[in-house]
Amino acid sequence: MASSTVPRTTVVRSSAQPGGREEHALEVENIVKRFETAEGTVTAVDGFSLSVAPGEFLSVIGPSGCGKSTLFNIIGGLMGGYEGRVTVSGETISGTHPAIGMVFQEESTFPWRTVIENVAFPLEIIGMDKRARQMRARHFIAMVGLDGFELRFPSELSGGMRQRVSIARTLASEPRILLMDEPFAALDEQTRLLLGDKVLQIQQDLRQTTLLITHNITEAVQLSDRVLVMTYRPGRLKRVVKIDLPHPRDSEVISSDAFGRYVAEIWHDLRVEASLGMHEDESRARNEKSKR
Amino acid sequence: MAAAGNVGAIAPTAQRHVLWLRAAIIVVVLAVWEAVAASGLLFRDVVPSLAVIGKAIGRLLATPDFYRNLSITAAEIAGALLIGGLAGVVVGIAIGANRFLARAYESFIYYLGPTPKIIFFPIMIMWFGVGPGSKVAMGVLSCFFPIAVSAAGGMREIDKVLIRVGRSFRVTAWQMVSKIYLPAMRAPIVNGIRLGLGVAIIGTLLAETKLSNRGLGYLIIQAYSVFDMPRMYALLTVLFVLSIGVNALIGRLATPGRRGVD
Repeated sequence: MASSTVPRTTVVRSSAQPGGREEHALEVENIVKRFETAEGTVTAVDGFSLSVAPGEFLSVIGPSGCGKSTLFNIIGGLMGGYEGRVTVSGETISGTHPAIGMVFQEESTFPWRTVIENVAFPLEIIGMDKRARQMRARHFIAMVGLDGFELRFPSELSGGMRQRVSIARTLASEPRILLMDEPFAALDEQTRLLLGDKVLQIQQDLRQTTLLITHNITEAVQLSDRVLVMTYRPGRLKRVVKIDLPHPRDSEVISSDAFGRYVAEIWHDLRVEASLGMHEDESRARNEKSKR
Repeated sequence: MAAAGNVGAIAPTAQRHVLWLRAAIIVVVLAVWEAVAASGLLFRDVVPSLAVIGKAIGRLLATPDFYRNLSITAAEIAGALLIGGLAGVVVGIAIGANRFLARAYESFIYYLGPTPKIIFFPIMIMWFGVGPGSKVAMGVLSCFFPIAVSAAGGMREIDKVLIRVGRSFRVTAWQMVSKIYLPAMRAPIVNGIRLGLGVAIIGTLLAETKLSNRGLGYLIIQAYSVFDMPRMYALLTVLFVLSIGVNALIGRLATPGRRGVD
């Protein structure tokens, strides 16, 4: 890998802080978020906390409607009006912050830009000159395995390749924390597994601090060092599962008994929450039907 | 049939039939015209024969006076499109991006849009004089509205996730407009400009035929006032062909190759 040609200027590598205590790359404390709806106030997230250690891969998993995406938007700085605190290396942040790089669930490449122009976008925004940003963009394009496709437009790529472009684009901004919201949700199962491998390998190579929001149990176990399970609405922390599986997480690890036990364990917790969500959806649908 | 596969396109034979039908309608119109001219049913000078009109076109195209007036009209329309287009895009983005502005002003644009702008002509003459100024103003009034409406619509159709991507990379307001809004809105803006060009031509020429001292509209109304029908028809024909040409040219811009925005 050509990572030596592009110096990464992040400070996250050192885990010791001047004060001497263990530094958290990202800390989320007691987040409460309420929404006003026509049917009254809905508490989406209720006192959720997490901390991500430098270089750690942390997943937050929960059923649909548990406030995962709300959490993603709050940490990424795209949503305000919440109680609690988000800190990056000890510094409280509000709004978007250069230390946090976001990858979205939806198709988010710019269709009018080529692959290399897409990946160079964050560098263009900060005013890096063209030669330098193209060089750096090429580096990250190669990292996600898309070398040779630099001059293609997103419409000429598959869904999985487009999502890789989005990931490369966010990596190019060299965030201290990579924040992803179900980045593989729109992909088919095989592409999802392959892309998961790729992301994990990159994360390991860069020692990239990563926070993944997902509803896919296998994916969470495959990728993470720790998995946080969320409750159904309001979203609270239900359980922390430490994934003690060796790296690389190859097919042997994934087919092991230990892997299966983690999946079963998380499903056991998640099942209660998911069925709560399902029942609530059903009763809401029934009420709406009887109103008519 | 050869129509297999490519949905939307039609078979080559059908394409040839379309061309034939097109040619046929033109031939029929010209034949009817010639028949009416030859029959003497109408006053001969009102419907001159095709040969006479053809000769008049030749004479027209040979006079430098025609080109001087053509360039004046073209400059008026270009100026109108530039001013009205910029204003329309700016207003359209503002309305498309801001719900309050939209609620406050959008109805004005929708109601003023289809109003015949010629009713403002007396005011424009008082403000900008009889010369090209009032014609440009009429063109601006005409093309502003369709461009603003298209731009506002295009702004609303931008994929919201692209705006969130921009925000997550902390773009400035100007970068948001230049690097995300405008490229994402390319197709609706070009389409708005195309609609705007059509009405700018109408607004400008209408103003020229009402009251002016230069331009193609002025030449047309001058020919009419001295009852030089062949010359008037020649001017109309040339204008017709030029309008079609310009419209076709802008249509090309709206549909780029398969690369880019789709």
